[in-house]
Amino acid sequence: MPDIVLRQVNKRYDRDGPDAVADLDLTIGDGEFMCLLGPSGCGKTTTLRLIAGLENLSGGEIAVGDEIVDSRSTGTFVPPERRGMGLVFQSYALWPHLTIEENVDFGLRLRRMPKPERRERVTRVMETLGIEPYRDRYPSQLSGGQQQRVALARMLAVEPRVLLLDEPLSNLDARLRLEMRAELKRIHSAFGTTIVFVTHDQWEAMTLATSIAVMHQGTLQQVGEPTDIYDRPANRFVAEFVGSPPINIVEVEGPETSPLVALARAFLETTRQGRGEIASIGIRPEHLHLLDPNEPVAGGAFTGPATLSALLPTGGSWIIELDVGGSPLFMSTNRPPVFRVGDSITFSVERDAVHHFDRNLSRATTTGAPKEKVSAGADTDTSPRAAK
Amino acid sequence: MTGGNFTAAALARSGALRSADWRYRLAVGWREPTAAIGVLLALLFGYLIVVPIVTLLHDAIEVQFGDARRAGAEVGGWTLHYLERAMFSPVAGDLFWEPLRHTLAISAGAISFSLVVGGLLAWLLTRTDMLGRRWFATALIVPYMLPSWTFALAWRTIFKNRAVGGQPGWLESLGFTPPDWLAYGQVPITLILALHYTPFVILLFGNALRRFDSQLEDSARMLGAGPATVARRIVLPMMLPALMSATLLIFAKCLGEFGVSYVLGLPVNYDVLATSLYRSIASRQSGVAAVIAAAIMLIGVLSLLIDARLVRQARRFVTVGGKGAMNRRSGLGILGLPALALASFIFAISVALPLLTLVLSTIMRVPGDFSLANFTLDFWIGSNLETVALRSGLLLTPELWLAAWNTLRIVGIASICSGLCGLLVGYVVVRSPVRPMAMFLRQVTFFPYLVPGIAFAAAYLSLFAVPRGPIPALYGTAIILILALAADQMPFASRAGISAMMQLGKEPEEAAQIIGAGWLRRIVSVVVPIQKGALVAGILLPFISGIRGLSLFVILAVPSTDVLTTFSLRLLDYNYTQAANGVVLLICAISYVGTLAAQKLTRTNLAEGLGG
Ligand SMILES: Nc1ncnc2c1ncn2[C@@H]1O[C@H](COP(=O)(O)OP(=O)(O)OP(=O)(O)O)[C@@H](O)[C@H]1O
Ligand SMILES: [Mg+2]
Repeated sequence: MPDIVLRQVNKRYDRDGPDAVADLDLTIGDGEFMCLLGPSGCGKTTTLRLIAGLENLSGGEIAVGDEIVDSRSTGTFVPPERRGMGLVFQSYALWPHLTIEENVDFGLRLRRMPKPERRERVTRVMETLGIEPYRDRYPSQLSGGQQQRVALARMLAVEPRVLLLDEPLSNLDARLRLEMRAELKRIHSAFGTTIVFVTHDQWEAMTLATSIAVMHQGTLQQVGEPTDIYDRPANRFVAEFVGSPPINIVEVEGPETSPLVALARAFLETTRQGRGEIASIGIRPEHLHLLDPNEPVAGGAFTGPATLSALLPTGGSWIIELDVGGSPLFMSTNRPPVFRVGDSITFSVERDAVHHFDRNLSRATTTGAPKEKVSAGADTDTSPRAAK
Repeated sequence: MTGGNFTAAALARSGALRSADWRYRLAVGWREPTAAIGVLLALLFGYLIVVPIVTLLHDAIEVQFGDARRAGAEVGGWTLHYLERAMFSPVAGDLFWEPLRHTLAISAGAISFSLVVGGLLAWLLTRTDMLGRRWFATALIVPYMLPSWTFALAWRTIFKNRAVGGQPGWLESLGFTPPDWLAYGQVPITLILALHYTPFVILLFGNALRRFDSQLEDSARMLGAGPATVARRIVLPMMLPALMSATLLIFAKCLGEFGVSYVLGLPVNYDVLATSLYRSIASRQSGVAAVIAAAIMLIGVLSLLIDARLVRQARRFVTVGGKGAMNRRSGLGILGLPALALASFIFAISVALPLLTLVLSTIMRVPGDFSLANFTLDFWIGSNLETVALRSGLLLTPELWLAAWNTLRIVGIASICSGLCGLLVGYVVVRSPVRPMAMFLRQVTFFPYLVPGIAFAAAYLSLFAVPRGPIPALYGTAIILILALAADQMPFASRAGISAMMQLGKEPEEAAQIIGAGWLRRIVSVVVPIQKGALVAGILLPFISGIRGLSLFVILAVPSTDVLTTFSLRLLDYNYTQAANGVVLLICAISYVGTLAAQKLTRTNLAEGLGG
């Protein structure tokens, strides 16, 4: 399957309504496992339906390789049934009048595949997804998670070259989810299927995707490998959306003069000779450390005093809430903390791990990268592939 | 493009872009047959619904054949003659104003009676512990499943006096001559319509009461309000929407009501709008008929518009009632007995008595003589009877079987057509990307609902009585009946289709599309199988209401296209009371069994099903 290219794609449902998707430029390479990630209502499902051809464009074009499949400016439209893609719906959309087996078989029958072959493939797919025992049941007799797997099996059976998945794992329990993730990864590598996967679960996106596209209010914020998205967010939205616990943001512009802001301003003074365009900085929780009071050597970007105000164990790791002169600061660590709630401590921020955001929230200059991934121009704009 | 540089090249380019945009819209909108089918349906219903009504309205202001001299204008010219004649001339009183007054009086009487009795019964059935309320809940609905003039025939069987020829009524035979006011005209018509629409009120009010949260009553009680205050200040206002709805719907139905008024009004020349329209048509005054039909239509449209408006306004507060909504029943205590008596009495006079009367009347030689020797099955299965015509029992009469076959054929075909069209309309309305067309279809198929059946039939008569273009004169054929009936049933059929398609959602179909199924395949393998139940309901329910229907047929049927209802009316006109009653009993049986079957098959509620 050649690349799928979206150029300046626009979609609005009502003529005078807001854009559900706006000026979207996105290339999905052959064999990629791309995750569309974003909060509810940001246009993920819409994007998927546009690619499948179930929605019509309001502007722009979609091409598969050299062939334009959807374009307002040339008047081309290839209908969904001839795009050779598979789509698993957020609501499963199983056919209630067919048994599970017939549901899975439907596409093969359309392709006039001989019966023994069909039966063999249907059985194999159902076994893979663990729904073989229910082959003679009707969809209404299955649990949500089982239905979801039937929906997946139905699309996998026809072996589409592109598989579009709309939150296909959202209804599964933790263990099944893990298994299905592994299964998807296996399908991806075994068949070389291009997969576009919608989720608002960032953890899922991080673990599955070869690249992630973050969307917000219909616009693309950033595309990149999972580590790119996490370490070099293109803007403050991406930085805040990705990561749990979320990134700490310190506003350095404005009248506020809390100790934390003062610390941050001082830090900017020393590293960049002043704030310049910078309006806020962001610090990921894992880049914060507690200093041993007996060992006042500061290796970090900046250090400061704080009170430990809460300690939340999350199973193998801890989230620690600090109080820096009235402002909260979250850190996470997987080393058992030696302090208790109420202790006065000194925190330090890792050098080169501070994200800078300018006044226009949507555009960021990210200075630095974590230690293990020191990039060449640590202090320059990493020029993300983001749309405006 | 946005710059102000309007060079020729830029213009050409924008032209090319615009044409590409159009091509895109065409490719998207008309790619599938959906839109094309929509256009066909729109044309079809434009012709079957809009054109007849326009023709009728046009007839009202166009000089008809033979009227040139009276109207003082050429045939085909414009005239206000008919309007003047029907509204302002010396005969206007007989033609329009008197019937209008009668219609209003009957409606008012029927509405007040059925609201009071129906409201009370609805409350007893849903909110109290009345004895046998489950049984009554079904039994009291029965009158609504039967043709309204069943009761008129029963009434006539008992109360008929010498004003009409033929066999005497029971009371007359027993030596008591009922006065005209009791035997015919306003009193019996009002009473019968009231009893017929009482179930309608029970259903509407019952539904509203069931949704009504009794915690609301309780909270008012806790604040110190007595039961009377609660009823007046809380319950009544909350029930107001159902009340208004029932009022206006019953009014709209009374407006088009023909059978009862025909059976009980004719002997004393008591005309309502529907019978006056019928008389005008029968006496070939098509211009005047058009004016009366238009007036009925206008009143019908107005009342339903008012209803729609009131319901919209009221919807704001009817849906209150949250999680803990409960429906507590109050104990009736000592009042339990009178309540039971009331329900039993209503059941007796609205179901048991009329049906029993009709059954007995068909097995009694001389009316009103209850001696054993007087009973016979001759009227059902006898042969070589001593009557002038109809010399064999009803079941051995070929005309009955012809009428039954006609009913099955005409109503059956019409119901299948409207059921299928309804689903198609639903499909197009929900799926088509061409919105204006979907909108038009939705509204045009609903329109017959606003037009009383008799006026609709008049419209068909005026359109199809003469050949028009390639279409021959259809009057006298079964086709005109099928078309009129199908069009008349479209409001129900298209509503059912639209709601079924809405519930289905588009995703099951899209899933098939993604997997490679073309349009036809999706319809055959996904949409129709899933909608099987809705389709059956969409055919069966119109079929049942079509079998009972009278007003369309009485205007459009001729002897060769007699259906059961018109056959029975014809028998009545010739004073074959037993046979007429027998036919009506057959209709009742079919209607009742059919309704129960439809309910079983589709698990639908009567309240929605019997709108027709
Ligand atoms: N058929 C429709 N008509 C009008 N607006 C719509 C329609 N479908 C979606 N929208 C709007 O378009 C925007 C994007 O919706 P979309 O379904 O793509 O969101 P999403 O990212 O998939 O959200 P979720 O994570 O909740 O599934 C939303 O604001 C939504 O309200
Ligand atoms: Mg979605």
